[in-house]
Amino acid sequence: MTVIWTKNGIVDNDPWTADGAEQGPKLLPLSEALEHAQDNAPFGVVLQPADDVATLAPILGRVAIIALTFPAFGDGRGFSQAALIRQRLGYEGELRAVGAVLLDQIPLMLRTGFDSFEVSHAPTIERLKQNRLPGIDLHYQPSVDRTEAGQGYSWRRAAIVNG
Amino acid sequence: MYRYDEFDHAFVAQRVSQFSDQVARRLKGEISEDAFKPLRLMNGVYLQLHAYMLRVAVPYGTLNSRQMHKLAHIARTYDRGYGHFTTRQNIQYNWPALKDMPAILEELAEVEMHAIQTSGNCIRNVTADHFAGAAADEVADPRPYAEILRQWSSVHPEFSFLPRKFKIAVTASERDRAAIQVHDIGLQLKKDGEGRLGFAVWIGGGQGRTPILAKKVNDFLPEADLLSYVTAIMRVYNLHGRRDNKYKARIKILVHETGVEKLSAEIEAEWMHLKDGELTLPEADIAAINAYFAPPALGARAEGWGELAAWKKSDPDFASWVGRNVAPHRHPDYGMVTISLKPIGGIPGDASADQMDAVARLAVEFGHDEIRVTHEQNLVLPHVALADLEPLYRALVAEGLATANAGLITDIIACPGLDYCALANARSIPVAQEISKRFGDAARQAEIGDLKIKISGCINACGHHHVGHIGILGVEKKGAELYQISLGGSGDENASIGQITGRGFEPDQVTDAIETIVDTYLALRTGAEETFIACYRRIGADPFKAALYGGEAQAA
Repeated sequence: MTVIWTKNGIVDNDPWTADGAEQGPKLLPLSEALEHAQDNAPFGVVLQPADDVATLAPILGRVAIIALTFPAFGDGRGFSQAALIRQRLGYEGELRAVGAVLLDQIPLMLRTGFDSFEVSHAPTIERLKQNRLPGIDLHYQPSVDRTEAGQGYSWRRAAIVNG
Repeated sequence: MYRYDEFDHAFVAQRVSQFSDQVARRLKGEISEDAFKPLRLMNGVYLQLHAYMLRVAVPYGTLNSRQMHKLAHIARTYDRGYGHFTTRQNIQYNWPALKDMPAILEELAEVEMHAIQTSGNCIRNVTADHFAGAAADEVADPRPYAEILRQWSSVHPEFSFLPRKFKIAVTASERDRAAIQVHDIGLQLKKDGEGRLGFAVWIGGGQGRTPILAKKVNDFLPEADLLSYVTAIMRVYNLHGRRDNKYKARIKILVHETGVEKLSAEIEAEWMHLKDGELTLPEADIAAINAYFAPPALGARAEGWGELAAWKKSDPDFASWVGRNVAPHRHPDYGMVTISLKPIGGIPGDASADQMDAVARLAVEFGHDEIRVTHEQNLVLPHVALADLEPLYRALVAEGLATANAGLITDIIACPGLDYCALANARSIPVAQEISKRFGDAARQAEIGDLKIKISGCINACGHHHVGHIGILGVEKKGAELYQISLGGSGDENASIGQITGRGFEPDQVTDAIETIVDTYLALRTGAEETFIACYRRIGADPFKAALYGGEAQAA
C-alpha cells in the first residue's frame, strides 16, 4: 500500500500519481513538463536526481506540484534539489518526496523543504499515522524549514512546535 | 577547550534516544539491515570481523582528563580493557556488545562526548593540528573553526546522505601537521596583508585506491565566510559527485573528472548565492567560540632550563626521550610532550584502560588538564613546564608510555587490518610489530633519524600508506597475504604520494625488505642531516629498487 502523508496526516484521494490514469491531472517528467507549460490543464512535474532544478524556473508558476525522486535510501541528491527549489527558485507549492522514502529521512526532508511524502514502507506508515517522527528538534544549522534563531550562536536553530 | 552548553547537552541526549529508537526498530524488524546500516554507521557503529566496533569522536583530537578517564572506564566496563586511537584522532573499541551501545553513549554524553558521524557517508569528525594552541608557528588556534564546523555539520539535513564519506582538516601554520592535502577539504588558517584571518581552501585530496593530492580553490577565504563557502562545496558535491561506483564517489574524483577550474567556478557560482546570507559568521560568535580555547595561564617556570640540562646530563635515556618526544612550546619555559603509543613490538595506537587513566592523571598533575590525540596515533600533553619533564617522564616509564620514538622508524601508523577489519585483505599489526622489533634498538633508530612508516591492510588506505616515507600495503594474491612497498610519500606541507617499488613481498620478507631500504638510505645519504625523505627526493627510486630486486628492477 502506498500512502501520501503530510504534516496534517494521511491524505485521502490524492490526485497526483506518476503513472496516472487517463483522467485527471498529470505528474510529468521534466522534459514533458517543459513541453506542457503552455497547456491550460493543471500538471505536476517529477524530477530525477540528476535533473537540474534550475530548468524549472520558467514554468514554476504553472506547476501545481513538484515531486523529487529518491531512487535509493542512500541517494541524498533530493535534499539539495529541495533546498534549491525552495530557496533559490522561491517555489511555495507542494514539494513531494517519492521513491525510497523511509521514516528516518523524513525529519531531514521536512527540514530541506519537502511537505508531502509518498510512502509504501508499512512500518513507516504506521509511525506516521501515530505522528511519531524520529527527529531532533534542535539544529546546528539553518535550513529551509521555519525555525527559531537565538539559540546562542548564529548558526543554531530550534524547531517551532506545531510550526 | 570547548564545553557543552544546554543546547549541546539537549542535542546529544536527543541523538542518543533517536539512535536507541532506531536500534529498537531494527531489533523488531521494522528496519531492514540495508536501511539500518547507514543509520548505525552515522552513529559510529560498525560490524567487524568478530564483533561490533564503536568509534567515538574526539573532536579535533582534544580531550580533558575527565573524558580520558571515561574512555578508560568504557574500555574496562564494556570492552576488553583497551582502546585503539585512530588516524582521525578518534578512539575505537573493538569488542562492545550491541546491547550495551545505548549505555555507552549515555556514559559518553555525561562527559560531553558522542559517536555522531564517526562513520557513514556524511561529514566526519573534523581534525586539526594536534599541537594547536601550543605551537609557536601557528597564526591562531585552528580548533575554534573546527568546532564551528563540527557544530554546523552535526546532523546536517542536506548533507547526511552524501555520495561518500567526507573529511575536513584544519591547520594554522605553514608546517602542516594535519595532512590537509589528503582531505576532502583542507583548510589552512592564515592572515592576509591587513592581518585579517581567513583560510586557504583545498579540496579533493584523499587516499584510498586512488590517491590524489588536494587542489587549492581559494587562496584567502575570510573567516566570516567559512560556513557559506563550505556549504557551497558540499552542495556541488552532493548534487554532482558520482553515485554509480563507491570507489569513484569521493570528491577527489569529481575534482579530477570535472577539472579544478570548472569545479571551482561552479562552487564560486553557488557561493555567490549563499555569501553574506544567514551562514555568515558574526565576529561575536567567532570570539565566543575562541574564548573556550583560551590558552591556560602558563606561569614563568624558568628554573626548568637549568634542571633540564642537569637531568639530561645524568640520564641519557631521559635525554633521548626529551630529544624525540618534547617539541618547543610557544612559551619558552614549556614543551609539548608526545606520549608514544608505539612501544617496541606493540600494537600502534592501542592504550590500556590503566594507561588512559594514568595519562589523565598526569595531564592534571603536569599538563593543565589537556590531552591531544594525534593523527599519528599518539597522545600529546601540549602544555608541560620543562621543570616538570623529569617527574612526568618517570611516571610515564612506570606505565610503559615513555618510548622515545616520536617521528622515528618505530613510530609506525597501522590500520587494524585483518586482525579486526571486515574490509582488510591482509594483517597490518603483526607487520608493524615485527618492523618495530627489528629496529627497536635506540641507537639504531637514532642513527636512521626521521622516517615515517605507514601500513594499510587493504586498498582503502586507513593506515595512510600512500603518504608514508615508506608505505606498506597489504593485498591478497591467490589466497595469500602479499605486501607492496611504496617510497617517497609525505603528508605534510610538501605532500607527495608514494611510488610502488615493484612486486610485493611475502609476510616473512617484509621486514627484510624494509631493512634493505633503510641500509640503502644509510649508505647513500650525504650525512646524518639528510633525512630519508630528503635523500629519496634527491636520488630517486632506482637505487632502492636495485637493492630490493637486483636485476629484476628493470622488468618491474
